[in-house]
Amino acid sequence: MIYLVGIGAALGSVLRYLITTVIKKKSRTIWPTATLLINLSGSFLLGTLYGLATIKVAYLIIGVGILGGFTTFSTMNTEILGLFGSKKSIYAWWYASISYLLGIALSVLGVIIGVIMKSH
Amino acid sequence: MINFKNIMSIAFFGFIGGILRYLLGVWFAFNGTIIVNIIGCFLLAFLTYFLLESGTPASWVTLGLGTGLIGSFTTFSSFCLDVVKLAELHSNTYMLTYLTISIAGGYLSAFCGMKLGKLSGHSMKWRNKM
Repeated sequence: MIYLVGIGAALGSVLRYLITTVIKKKSRTIWPTATLLINLSGSFLLGTLYGLATIKVAYLIIGVGILGGFTTFSTMNTEILGLFGSKKSIYAWWYASISYLLGIALSVLGVIIGVIMKSH
Repeated sequence: MINFKNIMSIAFFGFIGGILRYLLGVWFAFNGTIIVNIIGCFLLAFLTYFLLESGTPASWVTLGLGTGLIGSFTTFSSFCLDVVKLAELHSNTYMLTYLTISIAGGYLSAFCGMKLGKLSGHSMKWRNKM
């Protein structure tokens, strides 16, 4: 069971790396689009998975493994630090507020959608 | 740079980071997420600013440790879902404490990691020159 979580987390980490690298190559701003996109989509999907109340193995692989490894709290905080140290420190406030508020809101929305999907 | 070595390193370390997070979650439930996130913020900021000062080793090492191990160890999706779950349980005090400790604690530990990373990275560079 524990290895399944690990394999999921490995997949999630690689996916995060690929998305971040591709987005960073294309964007010229210091605004951390990649991590924001990853964290918000991951929070929504984890909420949905929880709402669906799937079997434990699926939750462990996809939820704890893939989505847990895909989203990241440490990168976000290190980026916030970097933005505070930059010329556009206002971005740090925006980035933190959008991440936390929208992340939790999307998580709630995900749970609701998951519950509705389950009941249909 | 996207190459096989980097991807294998991220996958290997991400595997370990995910398992460690899972174990802490099993042992400490909601508090497990707080613990991994706060420790991870400190470590990633430390690593980032240490390497910025001391000079970077091969990319597979930094990507493996930073993006793989620490990135996979911490989690944003579980943090958000934990808040929703605590609201569902009507544990408002716990939810507010959880939010405060995660948000403020995450930032402060990253800040301490940065300061310590810069300091030790700088002294490493200085020592190498002797």
